[in-house]
Amino acid sequence: MAAALLAADAAGQAMPEALFSGAHAGAVGLRVHRNTVLGALANALRLGFPAVDKLVGEAFFDRMAVEFARAQPPRAPQLDEYGQGLPNFIAGFPGTEALPYLGELAQFEWQFADLARCCAAPDSSGPSLQLEGGVRLHFAAPLRIHAARYPVEQLRAAILAEDAIALAGIDLAPRDHHYAMWRTEYGVNVRTISAASARFLTAVCAGADAMAALGAAAEGLGEAAIAPILAQEIVPAGFVRVEAPHGG
Amino acid sequence: MSPVASVHPIPARAGIGLRLPHHALVLAEHPAAAWLEVHPENYMSDLHSLAELERIRAHYPLSLHAVGLSLGSAQGVDASHIERLRRLVERLEPALVSDHLSWSTAGGQYLPDLLPLPYTEEALHIVCRNVAQVQEALGRQILVENPSTYLRFAASAIPEAEFLAAVAERSGCGVLFDVNNIYVSASNQHFDARAVLGEWCRALDARTVGEIHLAGHAVVETAAGDELRIDDHGDHVCKPVWALYEQALAHFGPRPTLLEWDTRLPPFGVLQAEAALAQTRLDSAQQQSYARAV
Repeated sequence: MAAALLAADAAGQAMPEALFSGAHAGAVGLRVHRNTVLGALANALRLGFPAVDKLVGEAFFDRMAVEFARAQPPRAPQLDEYGQGLPNFIAGFPGTEALPYLGELAQFEWQFADLARCCAAPDSSGPSLQLEGGVRLHFAAPLRIHAARYPVEQLRAAILAEDAIALAGIDLAPRDHHYAMWRTEYGVNVRTISAASARFLTAVCAGADAMAALGAAAEGLGEAAIAPILAQEIVPAGFVRVEAPHGG
Repeated sequence: MSPVASVHPIPARAGIGLRLPHHALVLAEHPAAAWLEVHPENYMSDLHSLAELERIRAHYPLSLHAVGLSLGSAQGVDASHIERLRRLVERLEPALVSDHLSWSTAGGQYLPDLLPLPYTEEALHIVCRNVAQVQEALGRQILVENPSTYLRFAASAIPEAEFLAAVAERSGCGVLFDVNNIYVSASNQHFDARAVLGEWCRALDARTVGEIHLAGHAVVETAAGDELRIDDHGDHVCKPVWALYEQALAHFGPRPTLLEWDTRLPPFGVLQAEAALAQTRLDSAQQQSYARAV
């Protein structure tokens, strides 16, 4: 029956009518259950990928979602966790050739939804970094670094705001984009960062010390270039708290 | 097996199904509701919503109404899902825990629907085994709800009411009696719903009925031009279901009654008004019950 409910073609959907009795044909009841199953899965995916849904439209999203659900049905009843494979599935989905960034936008939305499910951790539970002179940086937890070839954060914001002017003004030429994403009590925050900051934060999140993190950030730039970048991007960012050295 | 003591026991009053879009309002205003019921699956991985529910729970008696245990699965209940539910039960201390007489998991795939069982001795054995496994893991009694049905298996040899009564008797679980589901199933099979409800009243031991559900449903037309009722929890409770509810209360006595609304979710005030309609009937049943006692 599970296979009949997920099947796309009439032959796969059919079950012998002799299995059923009652006022309606078994096929009628099966259709109700099929609509419920696929509708629930499409709606669960819609909640996790709201910008993709708005961008392609409800009917097209349903088509992609149903095809995905048939190919990769959930393994567990927590449907808010369902859809990790959708970004790869819809990248290059027939009919989306004009939206080369669709898969990356979906990947960004998955990260966003995944962070939204997290609790903002206490101030002291994120990574921290001891700098020279006794200064210590405390980073938010959870903090994630996201990379994309398209400006997915700007795309998501403009699509959800239904801001056609902002959307038209976004430069869609593929190049490297980096984002810091973190959770607070009030929601998920996103900040665009440079490649050097992304390398620095990735190293910090992996547990590197100050020397190693700065070394990662300086890769290809030279150490002299790093200090101003970090001072401008990291220190004022909402995901870090600077602890000054304690006085004697 | 008995329900465990809860910080806030569920009263025989009308409660409201709490859904995520109403969290902010309930947290901010603590609107009147005798008790609340949630789907635990919505809080197993969403830790932010779980933290909110913990704060809400301090102000209301709570019931957990699961949809993912798949009590009818021949392969058994997924141990990891039971464990997730157990952790939630431990954390939230709900007064009631329930799921459905249905299946939703097969071959490692989860289908988000309450799929029907053939009512046979073999299925009865499977359901009782699964209910016992869940109750053992949770260390408490659960309630099992009669589902809406859209098809019947030719192999079914046991009437649904007798099947669920036997599950309760053999496993020690309680019954969550969904009046709207009785109406939807009876209508879809062209049976007289009042007569069907009478069969349920005769089959069930009233002491096992721990909760009643009420909801609205949709009416659609099939390709053959027949009317089909779909249990979508997306409308007000219809008049015939209110009449069946009164019939059920007259037989079972006042029971905690939950107003479910899932699709096309209206403002919380609409749910409160609908719960008030149930409360009026509960008050009347309470008076009749008291009059009989004296």
